[in-house]
Amino acid sequence: MAFGRKKEKEKKVREPFNLKKEAKLLPGYLVLVLWLIFTFVLIGWIFAASLSTSKEIFKGEVLKFASGFHWENYITAWTLQNVSTYFLNSLLYATVSCVFLIFICAPAAYVLGRFTFLGNKPIKSGFVMAMSIPQIMIILPLLNITTSLHLTGTRFLLIFLYIAINIPYTTTFLINFFSTLSRSYEEAAAIDGCSPIKTFWKIMFPLAQPGIVTVTIFNFLAVWNEYFMSLVFASTDSKRSVGVGLFTIIAAMKQNGDYGALFAAVVIVFLPTFLLYIFLSEKIIAGVTGGGVKG
Amino acid sequence: MKKNKKMMVVFLAPALIMFAIVYVYPVIRTILMSFFSVERPSAAMSTWSFNGLANYQKIFSANLFQNAMMNIFRIWFIGGIAVMALSLLMAVILTSGVRFKSFFRAMIYMPNVISAVALAAMWIYYAFDQRFGLFHNFFKALGLDGLARIKWLGGDMKFWAMLIAFCFAAVGYYMLIWISGIEKIPQDLFEAATIDGANKFRQFTHITLPLLKGTFKMNLTFWSINSVAFFVWTKMFSPVTTESSTVVPMTYMYDIVFGSKSVRVTDAGAGAAVGCVLALVVMIVFFIMNRLVKDDDLEY
Repeated sequence: MAFGRKKEKEKKVREPFNLKKEAKLLPGYLVLVLWLIFTFVLIGWIFAASLSTSKEIFKGEVLKFASGFHWENYITAWTLQNVSTYFLNSLLYATVSCVFLIFICAPAAYVLGRFTFLGNKPIKSGFVMAMSIPQIMIILPLLNITTSLHLTGTRFLLIFLYIAINIPYTTTFLINFFSTLSRSYEEAAAIDGCSPIKTFWKIMFPLAQPGIVTVTIFNFLAVWNEYFMSLVFASTDSKRSVGVGLFTIIAAMKQNGDYGALFAAVVIVFLPTFLLYIFLSEKIIAGVTGGGVKG
Repeated sequence: MKKNKKMMVVFLAPALIMFAIVYVYPVIRTILMSFFSVERPSAAMSTWSFNGLANYQKIFSANLFQNAMMNIFRIWFIGGIAVMALSLLMAVILTSGVRFKSFFRAMIYMPNVISAVALAAMWIYYAFDQRFGLFHNFFKALGLDGLARIKWLGGDMKFWAMLIAFCFAAVGYYMLIWISGIEKIPQDLFEAATIDGANKFRQFTHITLPLLKGTFKMNLTFWSINSVAFFVWTKMFSPVTTESSTVVPMTYMYDIVFGSKSVRVTDAGAGAAVGCVLALVVMIVFFIMNRLVKDDDLEY
């Protein structure tokens, strides 16, 4: 299983099984296993229900699959309930803003982390403060700007906002990452007559790749799962992202009682980040505690 | 290294300009707005009329806002105790030498990467359901009919149901931060304590806990930020109307700015005041925390 694969630097060779030691840890195992079972049941049942009919769900017989697997729930959710639109919107918002964020924040983080100049400290603490202010402090004036520019409800606006609101986090994360890179690379490049701008793009930017990948994963997750901005600024259904979209679908499905398709929509929305996580869990977990933390 | 002014300007400009548009200017304008009477967020500044603290008086005298502040306090305080204790427990178990550590760790953190809407849907339409729900069936199987009949999504229970669901998803994140704090404590401290005859429990209360003060402060900071942003879960648990049992400041603000069934006349000025109150509360919490929990930069 992908989670258990340990290619990381665990120096100790796994100890031989020691009954006495394991017995002492038993209460700990018990807590972990119970938590795990609950998580599995919660998510596993949703999968099972997404392949069942509403009747089976109400009878509480989702695991029997008495009438077979109902893949048509997914088709219903994907086509009739606009999940495809929301899904593609979120994919567009997340990928485009992730790319822009790197090309905007990496250079800024490099300058902020490497050079001392007047205003360096205030900018950095401004970013940290921005990560802790409630979003409701910024949306009212943003609404004013966007309505006066006639941008409300456009994809461009949402992408712009997703880039801008994630700048403080991305930059702070990358400042921390650049500070771990040795200065000797730049010194060597300067001696060889490489200009600072070229040094950055040709040497430092590629060296920062591990940090860039980690921060991009977090940005992708943040934009994919974002709810509030999409609710306020995407005024029509066709521009909404999966979070708000799923909310709308759930309301509709509850009305017509199609629970199978409701759960199928839930699965479609959470599957991309779930799959991403299965493959990247080690990197994501290292990123939470390693460089800068998501506010 | 030689400074290159042109490069610094070019590299910083895009980030700073966007930061100014989306954070600096809006924050200043929101603070100003909270002292003016403004009907709609799109109203031009020339149409604002100064009304001093009237917006603040208005929200503080509104029952719904009082409920919202009470709810957010309960989420922060009660939920905070639960999440901090559970995540610390998980972190201690995972660092005690159990097998499959990274697997367990990954599974417990997992809800953090899933959309909160999807997660809340799982809880509302499955776990808490009255007919085929997880808790209902679980308690029925145990023969505990009283517990099986609990109406999780009715009346006052709704708030607690929402809090349980929210906390379950949050535990993994704080657990990771606890783990990184615990793993920073040098092993020889525990070895020395073992030689001196201290049992595991005393080692935990006398070594681990005191040395986790900085980590605790960090966790508390993130918890405060996350509780203030509480919004999606309320929307999911009360999708149609805002209810006093689940309302939080952000939903209250959303209602008075954009209008809802209960609010006919929108009031963006009062909405701005809600934002300022929340920001102020966060600042006070941070200030008190910094006073109470001193950062004693420990060098190992």
